[in-house]
Amino acid sequence: MSFLRFAARRLAEMAATLLGASFVIFGALYLAPGNPASFLLGGRSASPEALQAINEHYHLDDPFAERYLHWLGQVVQGDFGRSITYRTDVSRLLADRLPNTLMLISMALVLVLVFGLILGWTGAVRGGSTDSAILVTTTFAIGTPSFVAAVLLQGLFAVRLHWFPTGGTGDGFGQMLWHLTLPAVALALYLIGMLARVTRAAMLDVLGQEHVTVARSRGVRDSLVIRRHVFRNALGTVLTTGGLIVSTLLVCTVLVESAFSVGGIGQLLELSTTTKDFPTVQAISLIMVALFMTVNLVVDLLHPLVDPRVSLDPSKKAA
Amino acid sequence: MSASVSASDPSPAGPPAARRRSARGRYALPVAALAALSLVTACSGPPKAGGGTTSDAGFKLSAGTPAAAGELDSFTWALYAEPPTLDYISAFDYPQNTILSNVCESLMRWTPQLTMAPGLAEKASNPTPLTWVYDLRAGVRFHDGGTMTPEDVVYSLGRQMDPANGAAWNSNFSNVESVTKTGPLQVTVSLKQPDSQFPQYMATAAGVVASEAGVEKAGEDYGTAGSLDCTGPFSLGSWNKGQSIELKRFDGYWGPKAKSAKAVFTFLTDPSARTNAMLSGEADGGYLIPTESYSRLSNSGTGKLYFGEGLSTVNVNVTSMKGALGDVRVRRALSLALDRRGFVKAGLGGAGTVTTSLTTKAAWAEAPEDVRKAAFDGLPSPEQNIEAAKRMIEEAGATGKTVTIATSSIGQDVSLLATAVQDAGTKIGLKVVLKTIAPNAFTSLFTDPAAREGLDMFPETYYDSITDPMDLLSNFQTGAYQNYAGYSDEAYDALNDKARAEYDPAKRFATAAEMQKKAADQVLWIPVAEWPTAVFLNKRITGAPTTISYLYHPWAADVGAAAK
Repeated sequence: MSFLRFAARRLAEMAATLLGASFVIFGALYLAPGNPASFLLGGRSASPEALQAINEHYHLDDPFAERYLHWLGQVVQGDFGRSITYRTDVSRLLADRLPNTLMLISMALVLVLVFGLILGWTGAVRGGSTDSAILVTTTFAIGTPSFVAAVLLQGLFAVRLHWFPTGGTGDGFGQMLWHLTLPAVALALYLIGMLARVTRAAMLDVLGQEHVTVARSRGVRDSLVIRRHVFRNALGTVLTTGGLIVSTLLVCTVLVESAFSVGGIGQLLELSTTTKDFPTVQAISLIMVALFMTVNLVVDLLHPLVDPRVSLDPSKKAA
Repeated sequence: MSASVSASDPSPAGPPAARRRSARGRYALPVAALAALSLVTACSGPPKAGGGTTSDAGFKLSAGTPAAAGELDSFTWALYAEPPTLDYISAFDYPQNTILSNVCESLMRWTPQLTMAPGLAEKASNPTPLTWVYDLRAGVRFHDGGTMTPEDVVYSLGRQMDPANGAAWNSNFSNVESVTKTGPLQVTVSLKQPDSQFPQYMATAAGVVASEAGVEKAGEDYGTAGSLDCTGPFSLGSWNKGQSIELKRFDGYWGPKAKSAKAVFTFLTDPSARTNAMLSGEADGGYLIPTESYSRLSNSGTGKLYFGEGLSTVNVNVTSMKGALGDVRVRRALSLALDRRGFVKAGLGGAGTVTTSLTTKAAWAEAPEDVRKAAFDGLPSPEQNIEAAKRMIEEAGATGKTVTIATSSIGQDVSLLATAVQDAGTKIGLKVVLKTIAPNAFTSLFTDPAAREGLDMFPETYYDSITDPMDLLSNFQTGAYQNYAGYSDEAYDALNDKARAEYDPAKRFATAAEMQKKAADQVLWIPVAEWPTAVFLNKRITGAPTTISYLYHPWAADVGAAAK
C-alpha cells in the first residue's frame, strides 16, 4: 500500500469518526437535565411568551433530527452558531481563547519532550544511583495530579516567592510566556514522569538486545551505539506515547486553566457545560475530538518514517 | 479548599469552583446595611434587637471602609467569574452587577446603607396608586456623547418588557401597563394594579437607562463588545475575553468623579487562585471571599477583611411535602434539632449569625419598631433541643422515616449544612439520606424539576435584591417560582397580594410580619443563619462599601488610595 493511499484511508476514517462523534456530542447534551432557557432567565420565573420567544430563537423546540442536521450543516460551513449565555458567535469566543490553550499545551509539550526524554535517556544509560534518583523523582511526578501540582506551584512560586503571577495570560508574547510557565509545569509534570519511564524502559529493552551487544563488542563507540541503535529503536514506543501525551494535555488543560484562571477553551468548556450553553459545548467538544484525532493521525503517519519495519498495511503486523 | 473540590471531580468537565456562586448567586443577594460611618449620618441602619437571632462574637461588622485619602491610577478587583454579557437586561448575577453598577445607572439608586435614593431620576412620585412619575436629572451625558432623554428611558425599560428579549428582570414588570414620555424630562409608568415592589426594583438593574442610539448601533453585540453607552462614573474599556475587563473614568460624569482613573476586573474562577491573587497583590481586593479563606486573608498582613451586615440567609429549602416532610411536626423537629452554631463555625468560617427567621434583620430596616418586633417575636430559639425534637417525631409517628437532602462539593457551606441536617435527623430518629449532586449540576436544582426528583430538601443561600422582606416571603405564594414544595394557602396568598399593593412601608411591613409568622409556623424552609457580606482590601486601596450595595451602587468610584 502506498503512503498516499494509507494517508487517504486514514483521513476518510477520521472523517467518519468525527461524524459519529458529532452525533454523540449533539445528542448527549439533551439527555442531561436542565434547560438553557432557564439559565438565560437566571432562574427567575418568566412569562410563557418570554420562554417561547427564547425557545424559538434558539430552535429549542424543534425535533431532534432537524436540529442535528441544521447544526451539522452550519458546522461544515465553519459556523458554530451563537452562544446562548455569551450572546455572541461561538467562533469568536473560540478565536479569543483557543490561542491561550494552544500556547499552554505547546509549552507543556516542549517541557514534556525535553525533560521526559533527557531523564529517561539518562536513567537508562547511566544506571546506578542516578537511575534510582530519577526513578524516585518520576514516581513523585506521576503521583501528582495536575490540579494538585497547580495548588503547590501557586502557593510556592507565586504567593510565597513572587517569581510568577498566580494566573492569567498577560499581554504580548513575553508576558504570556511568563504567565503560562507555572500552568505549563503543572500540566507537564505528570507526563514528564510518564515519558521518562517509557523512554527508560524502551531503551533498556533495546540495550539488552543482541545487535547492541554485537555492535559494542565490535568496538563501536558507546555514544554512537546508544544514539544510532538504542534510541532510534526506542523512538517508535516513544512516538506512540506521544499521541497519548497530547490527548492527556487536552483533557487536563480544563483543570489547569481553571486553577490558574487562564481564559482558554478548557475553562470555557467548564463554564459552558454548567450553563448548558449547547452551541459552545458542542463546538469545543468537536474541536477537542478533531485535535485528538489529528494527533493520532500524525503519529500513525510518522511511525513508518521513524521505524521502517512498520508496515503500512493494517492487515500485517509490524515486523 | 479548592484542591479538595477539584480532587472530587477530576473529570474533563473540570473543577466546579466557579459554579459555586452562580448556583447560589441568583438567589442569594445580600443586602446589608448598617448605620453609621460617622460621615453618613442620614442612613438608617437595620435593627439590632429582638427575636430569633443570636449574634456570635466571632466576627465584627463594619459600616464601611475608611474613605479614600487620594487618587489612584488603577486598581485591580478579583471576580469569581466572567460576566457572559454586560447587557443590563441579563444582569441578574454577581459578576455582571459588580461591574455594571459602575457603568450603567438606574432611575433610582441603592445607597451603601441599603436605602433607596434618587438616581437618574431626581424625583419619583406616586400621584395615584397606578402611576409612578419619574422626573429626570437634566444634562446627564452618555459615555458616547449623547444627552439622556425621556425617550432613552422609555426605550430602556421597553427592552426589559419585550418578551422576545427574554430579560432576566421581565417578571418585575408584570404589573406595568405602559411607560410613556410625559414631559421634556419626565417619564410616567402606568400600572395594571398597585405594585409596591416595582418602584423599589427601579434601583436595581431593572431600572437601568442606556442610550437608545448606543444599543441600536451595537445591535446583537450589545453587552458583549464595544461600548455600553450608559451614564455611570466609569465607561467600559477593553474586554480581554476570558481574562479581564477594564473600566475607564468617565470625565463627562454628572456626579462626583471616580477616584481611580481605571478599574480592572480579573476573572479568577478557582477560589484558592482568587485568594492567592489577593495575597500576592495581583488583585487589590474583592467581594465574595471564599469562607475557607477568611482566616488566611485576615491574618496575612497584606490587607484587611471586612464584613458588612447582609440580606443573605442560609436556609434548607423544602422541595417536597409528599414524603415525611409533609407533616409540619417533622419539619419543626428537624429545625429544632439542628446544630446551627456548629454549622456557622465550620461552614461559614465563624462569620455568620444563627437564626430561625427566614428574613434578615436588615430587610426590615424601614419598618417601625413595633412591626419589626412583631415580625421577630415568638420565633423559636435557634438553640438545639434534641429531646423535644425527638418527642415531636414520636408524636408524628415519623420515627424511622426517610428524608433525602441534596449535598454537593460545590462549597463547604452546602456540604456541611447537609451533613448537619443528617446529624440532626439521625439523632431524633429519622433516616436522612444524602444525595450527592455534581457541582456542575447543582444549579439545575433551581431551574429544573427533573433535577429535584427524589429530593425532599436542599441547602440554599438566598439574597434579597431590594431591602424588603417581601422579596423572600413572596416565594411562598401559590405557584411562585421557588415554591418547589407546592405550598398553597389562600390566606397567605391574600396577605401577599395585600402587601404587594401597599405603598406605605409601615402597613406593608405589618402585613409582611403576618406572612413571616405563617411561613415560620409552617417551617416552609428551615432558616439556619444570616450570612454577612465580606470584602477584602489590601493596604494600597480603601473606600469600597462593605454591604451588598455594590450590586447596584457605583461603588468603584469611591475606591481610592489608602494613603496620599
